Amino acid sequence: MTIFKFALKRSFSNTTNLIFLTLFPIACIFLPNGEDWPFLPYGYQYFGILILFVGIRLATIILEDREKGVVKRLAVAPISHFQYLSQNLLAYSVILILQCILVVFGGVLYGQELYQPGWLLFLFVSFSFASLAIALAWISIYRKKDVSFLVYMSLIFIVIILGGLMIPIEIFPDLLKRIAIIFPTFWLAEGLNWIVFGENILDFLLINGVLWLYTIIFIIIGSTRKIY
Amino acid sequence: MRVLSTIKFTVLRMVRNYIVLLLLLVVPILLITFFSYILSGVTTETGVPLRDENAMQMVLVFQLFGGSIVMYMIYNDLFTENKMRIYSLPFNQTMYAFSIMLCGAVYSILLGVILMVYAQLVLGVVWGNWVWTIYIISLMAILSIIVCLIFTFSVKKYKIAERLSEVYGVGFVLLAGFFFPMPENAFFDFFGTYGNPLTLSIGAVHEMDQSNLGEAWFQANILLGAIIILFMVMLILGRRRMG
Amino acid sequence: MKMIKEPMFFVNVWRFLMIGVLIHLWIMEEATTNSFILILLLMIMTSLRWRFALPVWSVLVDAFICFLFFPYTAISYYGLAVPIFELTIKGRAVFSLLFFISLFFTSASPNLLFWFFLQALFFGLFSYLTLKNQKVNKLEADEQRKARYELERIKIDLLEANQSVSQQAGLMERYRISRELHDHLGHDLTGASLALQAYEYIQDPHEADKLLEEVKNRLERSTKSLRETVHNMTPTTLMGVENLEYIINNYYQIDIDWKKSGDTLQVPAYMWSLLEACLKEALTNVVRHSNATKIEVDLHVTGTIARLSIQDNGTVPNQNQTGSGLRSLQMRARSLGGSVSINRDNGFLLVCVIPMEKGGADK
Repeated sequence: MTIFKFALKRSFSNTTNLIFLTLFPIACIFLPNGEDWPFLPYGYQYFGILILFVGIRLATIILEDREKGVVKRLAVAPISHFQYLSQNLLAYSVILILQCILVVFGGVLYGQELYQPGWLLFLFVSFSFASLAIALAWISIYRKKDVSFLVYMSLIFIVIILGGLMIPIEIFPDLLKRIAIIFPTFWLAEGLNWIVFGENILDFLLINGVLWLYTIIFIIIGSTRKIY
Repeated sequence: MRVLSTIKFTVLRMVRNYIVLLLLLVVPILLITFFSYILSGVTTETGVPLRDENAMQMVLVFQLFGGSIVMYMIYNDLFTENKMRIYSLPFNQTMYAFSIMLCGAVYSILLGVILMVYAQLVLGVVWGNWVWTIYIISLMAILSIIVCLIFTFSVKKYKIAERLSEVYGVGFVLLAGFFFPMPENAFFDFFGTYGNPLTLSIGAVHEMDQSNLGEAWFQANILLGAIIILFMVMLILGRRRMG
Repeated sequence: MKMIKEPMFFVNVWRFLMIGVLIHLWIMEEATTNSFILILLLMIMTSLRWRFALPVWSVLVDAFICFLFFPYTAISYYGLAVPIFELTIKGRAVFSLLFFISLFFTSASPNLLFWFFLQALFFGLFSYLTLKNQKVNKLEADEQRKARYELERIKIDLLEANQSVSQQAGLMERYRISRELHDHLGHDLTGASLALQAYEYIQDPHEADKLLEEVKNRLERSTKSLRETVHNMTPTTLMGVENLEYIINNYYQIDIDWKKSGDTLQVPAYMWSLLEACLKEALTNVVRHSNATKIEVDLHVTGTIARLSIQDNGTVPNQNQTGSGLRSLQMRARSLGGSVSINRDNGFLLVCVIPMEKGGADK
């Protein structure tokens, strides 16, 4: 578990990461309620965006390893690629889960109206995994950390808007409504709606199931071993 | 006037930076397109289609980020990579820095105009007063460049200056209340209205559309004033850093 | 872009395009969340196939996933193209025909579906053949490479054997000469020498005359024997530098300027064969390819190297490749530790340099 330990340490060593990982989630707790949309406080509606950013920031650590040639050295070390990847991902997942717990229970303590905090936490955790997997698949295409981050950032904006996280999906034209389902952010938005209005638990499990399917697909694609 | 001969290469370097092109041209084009599909048919209280309103806001929002390329080139040429080469050249380095700023401003304005043309020709967005809008865009571009350079000159680590410039962009978008309404107190009120270049520029374009010349010029002049004051600050900081 | 030339790349692109087709159909036709799960599940299988080589039976999983969604969505029938393709690419095209049965009870348009399946089958077949051919070609290339390397090794072995055989032959010859000298000359000369020593001590003149006569006979016999031995052992074929001279003298086409310097006897026999081959090759090349009118041949032997250079004054621009004859000369020279180099700047120049081993021919 050495890699796991160091992955945790490294994630917090960078100032920008520290802000992303601690200050922003705390700020999310204190954002106000919307008037008629979104149904949850803004901080919780937009927390998904933050999860996407944190996902790519954490995943670029792996890209940084590749850029600096650490992966090359690991290739000759008595450590398998699977160990390296799984322990890194485990560390990132732990960070993301802690962040979700912080945000949800912080909100409960602060007195935000969260309807079903337990399920909300579950949804955020599922989405965190999906976000991490997507980020992992994304960085597997790139060689440069900065470029991958900037392009991903611009992509995130489009995905957030098309997924209906920032604008209610009801006002979308018909075609865009259909296309929205492709994006994982749509399922997060659906899940958030369920938290407020949902009754049938099966619907909610289906939503989470889809997020898990996304996680599996992108982990499979992103786990390719690239030395350069 | 040897600086003049470098302008060609400055422009080439800017145009070839495809990440900047992606972030400042392709992304806004996509966003404007998506929004115009999503918002088609909706109008504001004043009867303007929400789509036109949104396109104008987008063009101005992306001007907030226009300074990043100037910042990058100044940092590269005058502080790190090319420093020795530039200082050994027989020309005035200050003039060279200004030429980069100027090119950056023109480039940023050009991207804004391309967005406007795209929105009008492809999406059918109606722009009220072209000249006025371009003037406001230029003010925003210059302001963004000056602010970015102040960050570059005042902060030791370039990474932090870069982050600060992002904070400047995203922060003012947040303060303008685009994502969610800001709490109501004196601080947020000020930065949601006259203390925010984004709201000022949007307001100026609005007022001009409704032919409130006085109010429009007032808001634009605040921007101009900010530019002049910050330009002085930038000069002082820059002289200290380069000297 | 080496990747794009690989047939496997196109197979993977086709697989992901298939998912694209399904997504397109889904957006156009129904866009219900349930049927999107079908696409996600097929996507998992596709990405697994992209990463790993799955066994043939994994198509059952795809087929089963599609089967589960038959009652809910027409897209699941289109999804059957995936198992059809995967079966065909593994060479089981016959089994994939089974999936065509679904055409009879499909809820999608059977006509369109038929063509869709057919193209999957066809591209699968094409990929199967391409991949198989690639495999066969790779195997064949490997075998040929192996054969070529073996051949080269045998060639080097032969050259080395040649060298050692000629050394052995030299040693045997020396042994034979020494035995010959010992057997025939040795006895008589020793006898004569002993008789001469005895002659000094003999008082009786009659006896001394007899002894002297004996010595004279012995010396006469040994002179004769020496002449015979030498005569018997002198080879009738030409050897060494004489051979080169013989070749040059019998070459009437073009004037040859022949120079030699140094002690040519130092050069061992196995080197002569290489020098001779070089000379012959160069002279033949001049006749065949060049318009030269004059050739200079220079043999120079020092204590450490033997150097043979052949220069002509031809002006025909020569082809750049080295012919097989020259190549084999270069190989033989390398196996002796020397080199054959060629220069075509001013006429044709061939230089063969061979290092002499310590002690030269005496070894």
